[in-house]
Amino acid sequence: MATDTRVILICSGKGGVGKTTLTANLGISLARQGLTTAVLDADFGLRNLDLLLGLENRIVYTAQEVLEEECRLDQALVKHKQESNLSLLPAGNPRMLDWLKPDDMKRIVEMLKEQFNYVLIDCPAGVEDGFKNAMAASQEAIVVTNPEVSAVRDADRVIGLLNTNSIKPVQLVLNRVRPKMMANQEMLSIDDVTDILALPLLGLVLEDEQVIVSTNRGEPLTLNSLNSPAAKCYLNIAKRLQGEDIPLIDPAEESSGLGAKFRRLMQTKIF
Amino acid sequence: MNLNNQKIIINIEDSEYLNWKIYLKSKFKMLNSCNIEIDSKNLKLSCTDISEIIEIANQYNCKIIGFSSTSEKTIVSIHSLGYKSHFSIESSSKNTSQIDDNNQIFSKTNFHQGTVRSGEYLDSPGDLLILGDVNPGAKVSAEGNIMIWGRLLGIAHAGSKGNYQATISALQLRPVQLRIAKKVARGPEEKPQLGMAEQARIDSEEIVISPLETTYFEKSN
Repeated sequence: MATDTRVILICSGKGGVGKTTLTANLGISLARQGLTTAVLDADFGLRNLDLLLGLENRIVYTAQEVLEEECRLDQALVKHKQESNLSLLPAGNPRMLDWLKPDDMKRIVEMLKEQFNYVLIDCPAGVEDGFKNAMAASQEAIVVTNPEVSAVRDADRVIGLLNTNSIKPVQLVLNRVRPKMMANQEMLSIDDVTDILALPLLGLVLEDEQVIVSTNRGEPLTLNSLNSPAAKCYLNIAKRLQGEDIPLIDPAEESSGLGAKFRRLMQTKIF
Repeated sequence: MNLNNQKIIINIEDSEYLNWKIYLKSKFKMLNSCNIEIDSKNLKLSCTDISEIIEIANQYNCKIIGFSSTSEKTIVSIHSLGYKSHFSIESSSKNTSQIDDNNQIFSKTNFHQGTVRSGEYLDSPGDLLILGDVNPGAKVSAEGNIMIWGRLLGIAHAGSKGNYQATISALQLRPVQLRIAKKVARGPEEKPQLGMAEQARIDSEEIVISPLETTYFEKSN
Protein backbone atom coordinates (compact mmCIF):
# COMPACT_ATOMS: atom_id res chain seq x y z
CA MET A 1 0.00 0.00 0.00
CA ALA A 2 1.33 3.39 -1.00
CA THR A 3 1.21 5.87 1.84
CA ASP A 4 2.38 9.07 0.18
CA THR A 5 0.25 9.00 -2.95
CA ARG A 6 0.29 12.20 -4.97
CA VAL A 7 -3.07 13.15 -6.44
CA ILE A 8 -2.51 15.57 -9.30
CA LEU A 9 -5.22 17.40 -11.19
CA ILE A 10 -4.39 18.21 -14.80
CA CYS A 11 -6.53 21.11 -15.90
CA SER A 12 -6.52 24.11 -18.23
CA GLY A 13 -9.87 25.87 -18.45
CA LYS A 14 -9.73 26.08 -22.22
CA GLY A 15 -10.31 22.96 -24.29
CA GLY A 16 -7.86 21.49 -26.74
CA VAL A 17 -4.66 22.73 -25.13
CA GLY A 18 -3.38 19.22 -24.42
CA LYS A 19 -4.61 18.10 -21.00
CA THR A 20 -5.44 14.58 -22.07
CA THR A 21 -2.24 14.18 -24.10
CA LEU A 22 -0.19 15.33 -21.12
CA THR A 23 -2.07 12.98 -18.77
CA ALA A 24 -1.46 10.00 -21.05
CA ASN A 25 2.21 10.75 -21.63
CA LEU A 26 2.91 11.63 -18.02
CA GLY A 27 1.17 8.43 -16.95
CA ILE A 28 3.36 6.34 -19.25
CA SER A 29 6.54 8.17 -18.22
CA LEU A 30 5.87 7.76 -14.50
CA ALA A 31 4.98 4.12 -14.97
CA ARG A 32 8.26 3.58 -16.84
CA GLN A 33 10.12 4.90 -13.82
CA GLY A 34 8.60 2.06 -11.88
CA LEU A 35 5.89 4.07 -10.15
CA THR A 36 2.41 2.64 -10.01
CA THR A 37 0.19 5.23 -11.63
CA ALA A 38 -3.55 5.53 -12.10
CA VAL A 39 -5.02 7.90 -14.64
CA LEU A 40 -8.61 8.88 -13.87
CA ASP A 41 -10.61 10.27 -16.77
CA ALA A 42 -12.86 12.81 -15.07
CA ASP A 43 -13.96 14.15 -18.44
CA PHE A 44 -16.54 11.44 -18.86
CA GLY A 45 -18.94 13.45 -21.01
CA LEU A 46 -16.35 13.58 -23.76
CA ARG A 47 -14.02 10.88 -22.63
CA ASN A 48 -11.02 10.16 -24.78
CA LEU A 49 -8.14 9.34 -22.49
CA ASP A 50 -8.91 5.70 -23.28
CA LEU A 51 -8.50 6.44 -26.99
CA LEU A 52 -5.11 8.04 -26.48
CA LEU A 53 -3.90 5.08 -24.48
CA GLY A 54 -5.41 2.61 -26.96
CA LEU A 55 -7.58 1.04 -24.27
CA GLU A 56 -11.05 1.86 -25.56
CA ASN A 57 -12.01 -1.73 -26.32
CA ARG A 58 -10.97 -2.99 -22.88
CA ILE A 59 -13.28 -0.85 -20.79
CA VAL A 60 -15.99 -2.93 -19.15
CA TYR A 61 -16.82 -1.09 -15.93
CA THR A 62 -16.39 2.51 -14.81
CA ALA A 63 -15.99 4.26 -11.45
CA GLN A 64 -19.76 4.64 -11.45
CA GLU A 65 -20.24 0.87 -11.15
CA VAL A 66 -17.56 0.71 -8.46
CA LEU A 67 -19.37 3.31 -6.35
CA GLU A 68 -22.68 1.55 -6.85
CA GLU A 69 -20.95 -1.65 -5.77
CA GLU A 70 -21.79 -3.45 -8.96
CA CYS A 71 -18.15 -4.42 -9.35
CA ARG A 72 -14.84 -4.26 -7.51
CA LEU A 73 -12.27 -1.56 -8.13
CA ASP A 74 -9.76 -3.93 -9.70
CA GLN A 75 -12.42 -5.04 -12.20
CA ALA A 76 -12.94 -1.46 -13.35
CA LEU A 77 -9.23 -0.61 -13.58
CA VAL A 78 -7.88 -1.15 -17.08
CA LYS A 79 -4.22 -2.11 -17.09
CA HIS A 80 -2.12 -0.79 -19.95
CA LYS A 81 -1.08 -3.36 -22.55
CA GLN A 82 2.66 -2.68 -22.42
CA GLU A 83 3.18 -0.64 -19.26
CA SER A 84 1.77 -2.77 -16.47
CA ASN A 85 2.37 -0.07 -13.84
CA LEU A 86 -0.22 2.15 -15.51
CA SER A 87 -3.95 1.72 -15.04
CA LEU A 88 -6.86 3.68 -16.41
CA LEU A 89 -10.10 4.28 -14.59
CA PRO A 90 -12.86 5.92 -16.61
CA ALA A 91 -15.05 8.00 -14.30
CA GLY A 92 -18.36 7.20 -15.88
CA ASN A 93 -20.58 6.51 -18.79
CA PRO A 94 -20.93 9.34 -21.33
CA ARG A 95 -24.67 8.80 -21.37
CA MET A 96 -25.19 9.52 -17.67
CA LEU A 97 -23.79 12.95 -17.17
CA ASP A 98 -25.04 14.22 -13.84
CA TRP A 99 -24.53 11.32 -11.50
CA LEU A 100 -21.14 12.39 -10.16
CA LYS A 101 -20.85 14.61 -7.09
CA PRO A 102 -17.66 15.94 -5.45
CA ASP A 103 -18.04 13.36 -2.66
CA ASP A 104 -18.16 10.52 -5.18
CA MET A 105 -14.95 11.77 -6.70
CA LYS A 106 -13.30 11.89 -3.27
CA ARG A 107 -14.36 8.32 -2.58
CA ILE A 108 -12.93 7.03 -5.86
CA VAL A 109 -9.64 8.81 -5.28
CA GLU A 110 -9.42 7.47 -1.71
CA MET A 111 -9.74 3.96 -3.12
CA LEU A 112 -7.09 4.60 -5.76
CA LYS A 113 -4.72 6.07 -3.19
CA GLU A 114 -4.49 2.70 -1.47
CA GLN A 115 -2.96 1.07 -4.53
CA PHE A 116 -0.99 3.66 -6.44
CA ASN A 117 1.97 6.05 -6.09
CA TYR A 118 0.44 8.58 -8.45
CA VAL A 119 -3.15 9.42 -9.31
CA LEU A 120 -3.47 11.73 -12.31
CA ILE A 121 -6.91 13.25 -12.85
CA ASP A 122 -7.70 14.37 -16.38
CA CYS A 123 -10.01 17.32 -15.81
CA PRO A 124 -12.71 18.39 -18.29
CA ALA A 125 -12.48 21.80 -19.95
CA GLY A 126 -14.44 24.65 -18.40
CA VAL A 127 -14.89 25.80 -14.81
CA GLU A 128 -18.30 24.25 -14.18
CA ASP A 129 -19.38 21.15 -12.28
CA GLY A 130 -16.99 18.77 -14.02
CA PHE A 131 -14.04 20.90 -12.99
CA LYS A 132 -15.33 21.36 -9.45
CA ASN A 133 -15.84 17.61 -9.02
CA ALA A 134 -12.34 16.88 -10.23
CA MET A 135 -10.88 19.63 -8.05
CA ALA A 136 -12.61 18.36 -4.90
CA ALA A 137 -10.52 15.21 -4.88
CA SER A 138 -7.13 16.71 -5.76
CA GLN A 139 -4.20 17.85 -3.63
CA GLU A 140 -2.01 19.50 -6.23
CA ALA A 141 -2.49 20.62 -9.80
CA ILE A 142 -0.77 21.08 -13.13
CA VAL A 143 -2.23 23.82 -15.29
CA VAL A 144 -1.68 23.30 -19.01
CA THR A 145 -1.74 26.30 -21.31
CA ASN A 146 -0.67 27.31 -24.80
CA PRO A 147 1.25 30.48 -25.65
CA GLU A 148 -1.86 32.28 -26.84
CA VAL A 149 -3.99 34.95 -25.20
CA SER A 150 -7.23 32.99 -24.81
CA ALA A 151 -5.58 29.92 -23.28
CA VAL A 152 -3.59 32.08 -20.83
CA ARG A 153 -6.73 33.99 -19.83
CA ASP A 154 -8.62 30.77 -19.09
CA ALA A 155 -5.66 29.31 -17.22
CA ASP A 156 -5.57 32.45 -15.06
CA ARG A 157 -9.22 31.96 -14.16
CA VAL A 158 -8.61 28.34 -13.26
CA ILE A 159 -5.57 29.22 -11.13
CA GLY A 160 -7.73 31.70 -9.21
CA LEU A 161 -10.24 28.94 -8.48
CA LEU A 162 -7.52 26.49 -7.47
CA ASN A 163 -6.10 29.08 -5.07
CA THR A 164 -9.46 29.75 -3.42
CA ASN A 165 -9.76 26.00 -2.88
CA SER A 166 -6.26 25.91 -1.39
CA ILE A 167 -4.81 23.40 -3.83
CA LYS A 168 -1.02 23.50 -3.56
CA PRO A 169 1.35 23.42 -5.34
CA VAL A 170 0.02 24.55 -8.70
CA GLN A 171 2.56 24.21 -11.50
CA LEU A 172 2.50 25.27 -15.12
CA VAL A 173 3.11 23.36 -18.34
CA LEU A 174 3.39 25.44 -21.49
CA ASN A 175 2.29 23.24 -24.34
CA ARG A 176 2.60 23.51 -28.15
CA VAL A 177 5.54 25.90 -28.11
CA ARG A 178 6.78 26.82 -31.59
CA PRO A 179 10.34 28.10 -31.15
CA LYS A 180 10.42 29.84 -34.56
CA MET A 181 7.25 31.80 -33.92
CA MET A 182 8.46 32.68 -30.44
CA ALA A 183 11.77 33.92 -31.82
CA ASN A 184 9.90 36.10 -34.35
CA GLN A 185 7.67 37.39 -31.53
CA GLU A 186 4.57 36.10 -33.29
CA MET A 187 3.67 34.05 -30.25
CA LEU A 188 3.54 34.96 -26.56
CA SER A 189 6.97 34.40 -25.06
CA ILE A 190 7.60 32.22 -22.03
CA ASP A 191 8.15 35.35 -19.97
CA ASP A 192 4.83 36.84 -21.13
CA VAL A 193 3.01 33.76 -19.91
CA THR A 194 4.84 33.28 -16.62
CA ASP A 195 4.56 37.01 -15.89
CA ILE A 196 0.78 36.89 -15.98
CA LEU A 197 0.22 33.51 -14.41
CA ALA A 198 2.96 33.86 -11.77
CA LEU A 199 3.44 30.11 -11.38
CA PRO A 200 6.55 27.91 -11.36
CA LEU A 201 7.11 26.42 -14.81
CA LEU A 202 7.18 22.63 -14.67
CA GLY A 203 8.02 22.30 -18.32
CA LEU A 204 7.66 23.27 -21.95
CA VAL A 205 6.37 20.97 -24.63
CA LEU A 206 7.38 21.67 -28.19
CA GLU A 207 4.83 21.56 -30.99
CA ASP A 208 5.23 18.20 -32.67
CA GLU A 209 3.32 16.63 -35.55
CA GLN A 210 4.03 13.21 -34.09
CA VAL A 211 1.52 13.98 -31.32
CA ILE A 212 -1.35 13.76 -33.81
CA VAL A 213 -0.02 10.53 -35.27
CA SER A 214 0.36 8.98 -31.83
CA THR A 215 -3.13 10.07 -30.76
CA ASN A 216 -4.69 8.47 -33.80
CA ARG A 217 -2.76 5.28 -33.19
CA GLY A 218 -3.57 5.12 -29.52
CA GLU A 219 0.10 4.92 -28.55
CA PRO A 220 1.40 7.84 -26.50
CA LEU A 221 4.70 9.23 -27.76
CA THR A 222 6.53 8.35 -24.57
CA LEU A 223 5.75 4.69 -25.22
CA ASN A 224 7.48 4.04 -28.53
CA SER A 225 8.77 7.23 -30.15
CA LEU A 226 11.19 8.45 -27.51
CA ASN A 227 13.20 10.46 -29.99
CA SER A 228 10.44 12.85 -30.98
CA PRO A 229 10.88 16.36 -29.52
CA ALA A 230 7.60 16.32 -27.61
CA ALA A 231 8.31 12.91 -26.05
CA LYS A 232 11.56 14.24 -24.58
CA CYS A 233 9.67 17.17 -23.10
CA TYR A 234 7.09 14.86 -21.50
CA LEU A 235 9.82 12.67 -20.01
CA ASN A 236 11.54 15.72 -18.56
CA ILE A 237 8.28 16.88 -17.00
CA ALA A 238 7.81 13.48 -15.38
CA LYS A 239 11.35 13.64 -13.98
CA ARG A 240 10.89 17.17 -12.64
CA LEU A 241 7.65 16.08 -11.01
CA GLN A 242 9.76 13.55 -9.14
CA GLY A 243 11.98 16.35 -7.89
CA GLU A 244 14.87 15.88 -10.34
CA ASP A 245 16.61 19.07 -11.37
CA ILE A 246 16.53 19.14 -15.16
CA PRO A 247 17.08 22.45 -16.94
CA LEU A 248 14.30 23.76 -19.19
CA ILE A 249 14.92 23.64 -22.93
CA ASP A 250 15.59 26.98 -24.52
CA PRO A 251 13.24 27.61 -27.43
CA ALA A 252 15.69 30.10 -28.92
CA GLU A 253 18.22 27.32 -29.27
CA GLU A 254 15.64 25.04 -30.87
CA SER A 255 14.61 27.70 -33.34
CA SER A 256 17.97 28.19 -35.01
CA GLY A 257 18.28 25.71 -37.85
CA LEU A 258 20.24 22.53 -38.09
CA GLY A 259 23.25 24.38 -39.52
CA ALA A 260 23.58 26.60 -36.48
CA LYS A 261 23.19 23.64 -34.18
CA PHE A 262 25.91 21.79 -36.04
CA ARG A 263 28.25 24.78 -35.91
CA ARG A 264 27.70 25.14 -32.20
CA LEU A 265 28.44 21.47 -31.74
CA MET A 266 31.63 21.84 -33.77
CA GLN A 267 32.70 24.84 -31.73
CA THR A 268 32.23 23.06 -28.44
CA LYS A 269 34.23 20.11 -29.75
CA ILE A 270 37.12 22.23 -31.03
CA PHE A 271 37.57 24.70 -28.19
CA MET B 1 -47.72 32.14 6.77
CA ASN B 2 -46.49 32.39 3.20
CA LEU B 3 -42.92 33.53 2.98
CA ASN B 4 -42.48 32.51 -0.64
CA ASN B 5 -40.79 35.06 -2.86
CA GLN B 6 -39.92 37.14 0.15
CA LYS B 7 -36.36 38.17 0.83
CA ILE B 8 -35.01 37.05 4.19
CA ILE B 9 -31.62 38.17 5.43
CA ILE B 10 -29.69 35.75 7.63
CA ASN B 11 -26.91 37.20 9.74
CA ILE B 12 -24.19 34.89 10.85
CA GLU B 13 -23.50 36.28 14.31
CA ASP B 14 -20.09 36.29 15.94
CA SER B 15 -21.13 33.64 18.42
CA GLU B 16 -22.04 31.28 15.61
CA TYR B 17 -18.73 31.49 13.74
CA LEU B 18 -17.41 28.13 14.79
CA ASN B 19 -20.47 26.14 13.88
CA TRP B 20 -21.92 28.30 11.13
CA LYS B 21 -22.86 25.23 9.11
CA ILE B 22 -25.12 23.88 11.83
CA TYR B 23 -26.47 27.34 12.46
CA LEU B 24 -27.37 27.84 8.80
CA LYS B 25 -28.91 24.40 8.56
CA SER B 26 -31.29 25.15 11.40
CA LYS B 27 -32.14 28.53 9.87
CA PHE B 28 -32.86 27.01 6.47
CA LYS B 29 -35.03 24.38 8.10
CA MET B 30 -37.15 27.07 9.73
CA LEU B 31 -37.42 29.16 6.61
CA ASN B 32 -38.27 26.31 4.20
CA SER B 33 -38.57 27.56 0.58
CA CYS B 34 -37.58 31.20 0.82
CA ASN B 35 -35.33 33.56 -1.04
CA ILE B 36 -32.43 34.23 1.27
CA GLU B 37 -29.66 36.74 1.49
CA ILE B 38 -26.76 35.84 3.74
CA ASP B 39 -24.67 38.33 5.68
CA SER B 40 -21.54 36.48 6.72
CA LYS B 41 -19.87 39.53 8.35
CA ASN B 42 -16.09 39.04 8.43
CA LEU B 43 -16.23 35.27 8.26
CA LYS B 44 -13.68 34.01 5.73
CA LEU B 45 -15.38 31.52 3.43
CA SER B 46 -13.80 29.54 0.61
CA CYS B 47 -15.48 28.47 -2.61
CA THR B 48 -16.10 25.05 -1.11
CA ASP B 49 -17.79 26.60 1.93
CA ILE B 50 -20.08 28.65 -0.26
CA SER B 51 -20.98 25.73 -2.52
CA GLU B 52 -21.77 23.86 0.65
CA ILE B 53 -24.06 26.62 1.89
CA ILE B 54 -25.88 26.59 -1.43
CA GLU B 55 -26.19 22.83 -1.31
CA ILE B 56 -27.62 22.90 2.22
CA ALA B 57 -30.04 25.61 1.12
CA ASN B 58 -31.16 23.50 -1.82
CA GLN B 59 -31.97 20.64 0.52
CA TYR B 60 -34.53 22.84 2.21
CA ASN B 61 -35.77 24.39 -1.05
CA CYS B 62 -34.26 27.74 -0.14
CA LYS B 63 -32.80 29.93 -2.80
CA ILE B 64 -29.73 32.03 -2.07
CA ILE B 65 -30.15 35.31 -3.91
CA GLY B 66 -27.22 37.23 -2.50
CA PHE B 67 -24.41 37.49 -0.06
CA SER B 68 -22.87 40.32 1.81
CA SER B 69 -19.61 40.23 3.64
CA THR B 70 -16.81 42.37 4.97
CA SER B 71 -14.17 39.77 4.13
CA GLU B 72 -12.42 40.12 0.79
CA LYS B 73 -11.70 36.43 0.65
CA THR B 74 -15.38 35.63 0.93
CA ILE B 75 -16.31 38.20 -1.71
CA VAL B 76 -13.81 36.75 -4.15
CA SER B 77 -15.04 33.21 -3.50
CA ILE B 78 -18.64 34.29 -3.99
CA HIS B 79 -17.84 36.04 -7.23
CA SER B 80 -15.78 33.21 -8.58
CA LEU B 81 -18.87 31.04 -8.17
CA GLY B 82 -20.92 33.64 -10.05
CA TYR B 83 -23.15 34.94 -7.24
CA LYS B 84 -24.08 38.49 -6.43
CA SER B 85 -22.51 40.04 -3.40
CA HIS B 86 -21.62 43.33 -1.82
CA PHE B 87 -19.23 44.64 0.74
CA SER B 88 -20.85 45.95 3.84
CA ILE B 89 -19.17 48.48 6.08
CA GLU B 90 -19.44 48.04 9.77
CA SER B 91 -20.71 51.04 11.73
CA SER B 92 -20.60 53.22 8.64
CA SER B 93 -22.42 56.07 10.35
CA LYS B 94 -19.49 56.67 12.69
CA ASN B 95 -16.98 56.75 9.89
CA THR B 96 -18.75 59.14 7.58
CA SER B 97 -18.14 62.08 9.88
CA GLN B 98 -14.42 61.74 9.23
CA ILE B 99 -14.72 62.05 5.48
CA ASP B 100 -13.35 65.33 4.26
CA ASP B 101 -15.25 66.17 1.09
CA ASN B 102 -12.63 68.50 -0.32
CA ASN B 103 -9.75 66.10 -0.11
CA GLN B 104 -11.73 62.99 -0.96
CA ILE B 105 -9.92 60.91 1.58
CA PHE B 106 -11.87 57.88 2.57
CA SER B 107 -11.83 56.60 6.07
CA LYS B 108 -11.80 52.99 5.01
CA THR B 109 -9.14 51.55 2.76
CA ASN B 110 -9.60 47.99 1.72
CA PHE B 111 -6.48 46.06 1.22
CA HIS B 112 -5.96 43.03 -0.95
CA GLN B 113 -2.76 41.05 -1.12
CA GLY B 114 -2.11 38.75 -4.06
CA THR B 115 -2.83 38.58 -7.75
CA VAL B 116 -6.39 39.37 -8.80
CA ARG B 117 -6.94 36.78 -11.52
CA SER B 118 -9.19 36.61 -14.57
CA GLY B 119 -12.87 36.41 -13.63
CA GLU B 120 -12.31 37.70 -10.10
CA TYR B 121 -13.91 40.91 -8.90
CA LEU B 122 -13.03 43.18 -6.02
CA ASP B 123 -15.21 46.01 -4.81
CA SER B 124 -14.54 48.45 -2.01
CA PRO B 125 -16.74 51.07 -0.37
CA GLY B 126 -13.68 53.24 0.27
CA ASP B 127 -10.23 53.27 -1.26
CA LEU B 128 -8.77 50.07 -2.56
CA LEU B 129 -5.12 49.12 -2.21
CA ILE B 130 -3.91 46.05 -4.05
CA LEU B 131 -0.53 44.51 -3.42
CA GLY B 132 -0.15 42.43 -6.56
CA ASP B 133 -1.14 42.38 -10.21
CA VAL B 134 -4.62 42.82 -11.61
CA ASN B 135 -4.62 40.39 -14.51
CA PRO B 136 -6.49 40.71 -17.82
CA GLY B 137 -10.12 39.67 -17.35
CA ALA B 138 -10.20 40.75 -13.70
CA LYS B 139 -12.15 43.76 -12.48
CA VAL B 140 -11.51 45.98 -9.49
CA SER B 141 -13.73 48.81 -8.39
CA ALA B 142 -13.84 51.25 -5.50
CA GLU B 143 -15.94 54.18 -4.40
CA GLY B 144 -12.71 55.99 -3.72
CA ASN B 145 -9.24 55.74 -5.24
CA ILE B 146 -7.58 52.61 -6.52
CA MET B 147 -3.90 52.06 -5.86
CA ILE B 148 -2.15 49.06 -7.28
CA TRP B 149 1.32 48.08 -6.16
CA GLY B 150 1.78 45.97 -9.25
CA ARG B 151 0.53 45.90 -12.82
CA LEU B 152 -2.97 46.84 -13.85
CA LEU B 153 -3.85 44.75 -16.89
CA GLY B 154 -7.60 44.30 -16.33
CA ILE B 155 -10.44 46.73 -15.74
CA ALA B 156 -10.43 49.32 -12.95
CA HIS B 157 -13.31 51.53 -11.88
CA ALA B 158 -12.55 54.28 -9.38
CA GLY B 159 -15.18 56.55 -7.89
CA SER B 160 -17.83 53.98 -8.71
CA LYS B 161 -20.55 55.98 -6.92
CA GLY B 162 -19.84 59.07 -8.98
CA ASN B 163 -16.75 60.63 -7.43
CA TYR B 164 -15.03 62.44 -10.32
CA GLN B 165 -11.97 63.25 -8.18
CA ALA B 166 -11.07 59.59 -7.78
CA THR B 167 -7.81 58.35 -9.25
CA ILE B 168 -6.32 55.06 -10.35
CA SER B 169 -2.62 54.56 -9.82
CA ALA B 170 -0.43 51.58 -10.59
CA LEU B 171 3.23 50.73 -10.99
CA GLN B 172 2.42 49.73 -14.54
CA LEU B 173 -0.80 51.03 -16.01
CA ARG B 174 -1.81 48.91 -18.99
CA PRO B 175 -5.51 48.29 -18.44
CA VAL B 176 -8.05 46.94 -20.89
CA GLN B 177 -10.39 49.69 -19.79
CA LEU B 178 -10.39 52.48 -17.20
CA ARG B 179 -13.47 53.96 -15.59
CA ILE B 180 -13.64 56.92 -13.27
CA ALA B 181 -17.13 57.79 -12.03
CA LYS B 182 -19.19 57.67 -15.24
CA LYS B 183 -16.31 58.21 -17.67
CA VAL B 184 -14.97 55.29 -19.62
CA ALA B 185 -11.66 55.10 -21.49
CA ARG B 186 -9.90 52.34 -23.32
CA GLY B 187 -6.42 51.48 -22.18
CA PRO B 188 -3.38 52.93 -23.93
CA GLU B 189 -2.19 51.05 -27.02
CA GLU B 190 1.51 51.72 -26.64
CA LYS B 191 3.60 50.10 -23.96
CA PRO B 192 4.23 52.31 -20.97
CA GLN B 193 7.73 53.28 -19.89
CA LEU B 194 9.19 50.89 -17.42
CA GLY B 195 9.98 51.95 -13.93
CA MET B 196 7.51 54.78 -13.76
CA ALA B 197 4.36 54.63 -11.70
CA GLU B 198 1.38 56.19 -13.44
CA GLN B 199 -1.90 57.68 -12.44
CA ALA B 200 -5.20 58.10 -14.26
CA ARG B 201 -7.57 60.92 -13.31
CA ILE B 202 -10.18 63.13 -14.89
CA ASP B 203 -8.88 66.33 -16.41
CA SER B 204 -11.32 68.54 -18.33
CA GLU B 205 -13.91 65.84 -18.87
CA GLU B 206 -11.37 63.28 -20.12
CA ILE B 207 -9.49 60.47 -18.43
CA VAL B 208 -5.78 61.25 -18.71
CA ILE B 209 -2.78 59.20 -17.67
CA SER B 210 0.30 60.90 -16.32
CA PRO B 211 3.34 59.94 -14.24
CA LEU B 212 2.29 59.60 -10.62
CA GLU B 213 2.58 62.92 -8.79
CA THR B 214 4.10 62.86 -5.38
CA THR B 215 1.77 65.64 -4.32
CA TYR B 216 -0.94 63.02 -4.26
CA PHE B 217 0.63 61.52 -1.21
CA GLU B 218 1.21 64.90 0.42
CA LYS B 219 -2.45 65.72 -0.01
CA SER B 220 -3.37 62.52 1.75
CA ASN B 221 -1.31 63.52 4.75
